[in-house]
Amino acid sequence: MKKLNIFAVIVALLFSLSATAEAQITEKPEYGKFAITGATIHTVTNGTIEGGVILIDGNDIAFVGQNIKITDEYTRIDATGKHVYPGIIDGWTGLGLVEISAVPVTVDVAEIGQFNPHMYAFTAFNPHSASVPVTRVSGVTTVLSRPSSGSISGKAAVMDLWGYSPDSMAVKKSGALIMNLPSKGGGSWDTRSEEEIQEQYENQIKEINDFLNKARFYDQMMKAYEADPSGKTKPDFDPRMEAMREVLTGDVPVVISVNDEEEILDAIEWTKGQQDMSFVFAGVREGWRVAEEIAEAGIPVLTTTLYTPSRDYDSYQRPYENPGLMAAAGVKVAIVSNDTENSRNTPFEAGYAAAYGMGTDEAIKAITINPAEIFGVADKLGSIEEGKQANLFISDGDPLEPMTNIEQVFIKGFKIPMQSRHIQLYDEFLNRDAVNR
Amino acid sequence: MIAAFGITAQAQDKGSVLIQNATVITVTNGDLEDTDVLIEDGIIREIGKDLRAPRGVETVDATGKFVMPGIIDAHSHLNGVDINEARNPVTAEVTMEESIDPNEVGIYHALAGGATTIHLMHGSANVIGGQGETLKLRYGASQEGMKFENAKRTIKFALGENPTRVHGQGNGVQPRTRMGVEQVIRGHFDEALDYKRKREAYLEAKANYDRRQRGTPPVPVAENLRYEVLNDVIEGEILVHCHSYRADEILMLMRVFNDYGIEDYTFQHANEAFKVANELAKNGAMTSVFSDWWAYKFEVYYSTAYNASILNANGVVNSINSDNDQLLRTLNHEAAKVVRYGDTSVNDAIKMITLHPAIQLGIDDRVGSIEEGKHGDVVVWSGHPLSIYSKAEMTFVDGTKYFDLENDPDDMRIQINPGADYDDGSNFREIVTRRDEDACLQDSFILMEEQNNAYN
Amino acid sequence: MRKQLLLLALLFVGLGMQGIFAQTTPAQALKNVTIHNADGSTTQSATIVWRNGVIEAIGTNVTLPFDAFEIDGGDSLHVYPGFIDGFSIWGSPDLPRPQDLPSLDEPGNPPYDRAGVQPERKPSVLLKEDENFETGMKAGFTTAALYPNGNMLPGQVEAFYLSTDHENVQLIKENLGLAGSFEEAPGGWGSGAYPSTLMGVMAKFRQVMFDATALQQHMRYYSQNPEMPAPERSRVLEAMFPLVNKTTPLFFEVDTKEDIERLFKLQDEFGFNAVIVSGKEAYAKADELKRRNIPILAGIDFTDMPEWYAETKKKEDSEEDEKEEEASEEEEISEEEQAYREKQLEAWKAEVSNIKKLMDAGVPVGYASAGIELKDLDGKIEILLDEGGLTEGDLVSLMSINTANILGLNRTLGSLERGKNASFSVFDKAMSEDKAKVLYSISNGTIYEFNGN
Repeated sequence: MKKLNIFAVIVALLFSLSATAEAQITEKPEYGKFAITGATIHTVTNGTIEGGVILIDGNDIAFVGQNIKITDEYTRIDATGKHVYPGIIDGWTGLGLVEISAVPVTVDVAEIGQFNPHMYAFTAFNPHSASVPVTRVSGVTTVLSRPSSGSISGKAAVMDLWGYSPDSMAVKKSGALIMNLPSKGGGSWDTRSEEEIQEQYENQIKEINDFLNKARFYDQMMKAYEADPSGKTKPDFDPRMEAMREVLTGDVPVVISVNDEEEILDAIEWTKGQQDMSFVFAGVREGWRVAEEIAEAGIPVLTTTLYTPSRDYDSYQRPYENPGLMAAAGVKVAIVSNDTENSRNTPFEAGYAAAYGMGTDEAIKAITINPAEIFGVADKLGSIEEGKQANLFISDGDPLEPMTNIEQVFIKGFKIPMQSRHIQLYDEFLNRDAVNR
Repeated sequence: MIAAFGITAQAQDKGSVLIQNATVITVTNGDLEDTDVLIEDGIIREIGKDLRAPRGVETVDATGKFVMPGIIDAHSHLNGVDINEARNPVTAEVTMEESIDPNEVGIYHALAGGATTIHLMHGSANVIGGQGETLKLRYGASQEGMKFENAKRTIKFALGENPTRVHGQGNGVQPRTRMGVEQVIRGHFDEALDYKRKREAYLEAKANYDRRQRGTPPVPVAENLRYEVLNDVIEGEILVHCHSYRADEILMLMRVFNDYGIEDYTFQHANEAFKVANELAKNGAMTSVFSDWWAYKFEVYYSTAYNASILNANGVVNSINSDNDQLLRTLNHEAAKVVRYGDTSVNDAIKMITLHPAIQLGIDDRVGSIEEGKHGDVVVWSGHPLSIYSKAEMTFVDGTKYFDLENDPDDMRIQINPGADYDDGSNFREIVTRRDEDACLQDSFILMEEQNNAYN
Repeated sequence: MRKQLLLLALLFVGLGMQGIFAQTTPAQALKNVTIHNADGSTTQSATIVWRNGVIEAIGTNVTLPFDAFEIDGGDSLHVYPGFIDGFSIWGSPDLPRPQDLPSLDEPGNPPYDRAGVQPERKPSVLLKEDENFETGMKAGFTTAALYPNGNMLPGQVEAFYLSTDHENVQLIKENLGLAGSFEEAPGGWGSGAYPSTLMGVMAKFRQVMFDATALQQHMRYYSQNPEMPAPERSRVLEAMFPLVNKTTPLFFEVDTKEDIERLFKLQDEFGFNAVIVSGKEAYAKADELKRRNIPILAGIDFTDMPEWYAETKKKEDSEEDEKEEEASEEEEISEEEQAYREKQLEAWKAEVSNIKKLMDAGVPVGYASAGIELKDLDGKIEILLDEGGLTEGDLVSLMSINTANILGLNRTLGSLERGKNASFSVFDKAMSEDKAKVLYSISNGTIYEFNGN
């Protein structure tokens, strides 16, 4: 163990040295008034506009449409023959929290303890992570960065991928509360008896219920005190309980990771007893088996497509079809990367859903407006509409296609430099010895 | 426990089929519009227009569709019984040929993704790991029947973090550093050469003694499997596929191989190969890389998704591999990313999952392109194979159809565990996602965890 | 060692001087019993007489000698040839727990025992107390080929007459062969060693064979040429010589058809004779086994009957009585699950009919406990008879003469015949009947009485 620690320290040193030594962005962004002209505009919420115009004014989209006179104060960007899409939202990633997953000192997703609603991904989000530019130049402009441990892992943050501080990047500091319900295990490696499994499950569920009930009591007590403090002793402040208050009003959704059919049904059953909170499921690999039930419960999902089937006897196509099958049953589906450094692959996860039953339009929604709605940021993000934040990109084709090039990305109205470590290394090494022979 | 369902093809069945009116991506001779491909008895007989099907040969109308050579994955652990013999830093004597599970349902899943050949590799726990085996995805065949007949022999080497973690940190034996890795390789090559000299001397003396029955007989030198294999490596009978990441360790191995005269080798993963593309090209070394994996461990932190394009532009024969059961199902789209990252041409990108891996496995005279005389390992795609919307519709190996989208039952197991009921946990597979890194070391991670538990 | 030789010597003396003893020791007899012959036939109202461990007379036309002590048992007893467990770890010493193994400096180059290579071990030296000896006799076994518990090459196979007490378990024949399997080195991931994988075991096996070959060569040369450097003797490698020289077979425990193919590969390389033990999927290789002349000591440790199938069968049985409650209770299952069940049942039936298929294909099949717990034996036998296509006669042959043939014990054991060894079991009713019990077990002429409990 000692050996490992020394190793980790050395790595950390190396890492911090090199990270500061290597600048990632040498160009400056542009900001102000832009007119993107001639493009096919995929608004997502209001259909497609051929040869349209988007005016960006500062942070926001000022106009979307066809007939408008563009004044000289706008910098024109000719996008004839190109496509414009709203920025892709990856609704499930460790981006910003994990630099190198195999080097523990660079991994900030798992705090010690079972109940940590007061841990904020926002706090640990590293704006200078090498992965941030790599991700945003691929058209992913916004992510939900989430912690993951214990029963209540903490709060995930909705972050725009441009800025030099979490504060300037945060769309919503409390994007979601991340929860894990106990697992019933039951794989071939699980040696417990069915009774033991059930008993342990119930004990763990009870712990969670007790915690939530305590939080409800705390909230009511505090409300009573806040409404009229006179003559009352102020109750002690409890950061955990305090952090639960915005969840108990339903304002901050609770994301629960579930995958197997049984897990999903158990979770639905459990959420029925928690009417004061709103829920989202993440993972949901066997959602297609119980799509009706998920739809009926009104629980939206964050899911992926590129994984091997969950059961030996499943069709190989099922993971690809799963989002479409859930959507067809009436579930609101967001497609996510469930990745960190390759959060940029979110559109290809959606591409598989598109090809296997969901269709392109719905799959695009699943990486734009749907996650925006799920995390309560659809007033700003998720579509190209006047008044919304200017998170969008220009591409030479369908962004679900891996061969498509993302040519220019805007985040919060910034025309961002299309630079990243990957591109820099390309520039440096494509023709390494051109001069130095 | 074994039953065949849905699979009618038998081991080494050579089939015949005429695929008509397709856009044929030959790889070596451009894309041919509206063209027919005739496969007879497992071999591509003719490519041309308006070919006539010989009597009894099935025809497939592929109007509007694409035909591409079957995808070849130069790095897979899809159906290994075990992956790592991780108890010694050098295990050249073990071979994945003896670790094939022909009943893995993932073989069918790979066929459905247009793959027809994989390089089943030993893992990366050891500096010199076991030998690999090139397999055709003849689902339903025996382990013997899956083998790519007369493919070149291969062996896995591994540099960097994995062997130093497993052996140095884990077992307290060399190597714990990249310095040690070099010396483990050199030391074993030298021992192998010494062994060869002594063994040959013994055999000669023995023959003399046995014939003449005079003088003093020689002290026997036992045959040594490990050193025999290492000598085969030095003599070029075995292609080396070396797990590696950093530019410095890639240079180190080329130096070592130059010293021992080893010429045919491929760097696997090689995330920093782009930094030494010139040196690779000069040595004729090849690379087999991920399209976009990076940053999952320290030695891939300073890497780029443009790796493949830089290598290609600098004349290095490069392939895109999966090392992952999920990526194996979607290697066409991994190749498409090479077009995105660095503007490699579509045909060059396709080469990276067909002809180039074939070259790296020493089977390019038989597969990797659609040419008359090559094996009938072809896939009919609904659209251009690099498009995300395209699906493999039919996958042929040796002219025999092993996958047909029109006849594609859900449950394709051929090995059934009668002890598992429908809802039984043992039916639940370990899920492999697109990003599960280092399948190479999957079983060694378990090893290391247990070591930590045992020694903490 | 000396004790065994002595025992062995006595045994030979016993056989050779049978005639002399016959005059001095009273005979024993069972009258009016049903004899279940090793060929599957039965003989009603028969008598069996034995003396000094040898059957003196058997049949329906037997006159009791004047000095025959008639064992009291009533008229309805059933006599079976003593069953032979062809490959059993009864009496084997316990293996150290993996976590108790000391860690190795060089796990890649462990001593032989830590690699699982222990061909020098002999059950006759290692035998220890084991209640399975008595349980086995109560289940009808009188003879077993034992091997020491271990890993890839755990030791030698030797045949024994059973006794309820391990001290009296008598060696019949040593050096029947070596035991083997693809079991990796002890310790698993935690404290294990090379070889830790199937492919590693294959390689290690070869290397051991090569090293033994070289040592044997060295020893031969040295015996003629004492002026040359002396060989470094090795009990382990020397125990491999019979396999190198193909003089005794390798008893190899293997189940899947792929592992059977791997054994074929080793056999092709080294040319040894093999006996497959357990062999759950041997049916899939029946033709090849026949071609190679490899017999099977089959295990019957079948997977449990699928629960739903057991219930269906139970329902079918009870429905014969009460037809009223019909489809009302039919469980509703999805199409997917129905298809799943069909495959599952097909796979299960294939497993339980392994022995039948091998017999039909003409592959010699005997019996080995191969990991089965004796308490499960009745249930497995019932499956073999109900679902596995075997008749009771087949079963008797399987567990007696067939196994004796494979072990090379058929001259004295395996059937109830005049002149053969008196090893047999006396059941209170036919063993296929419910709650049949062994009342007496006669092992090498010694009577063990169990009083039915």
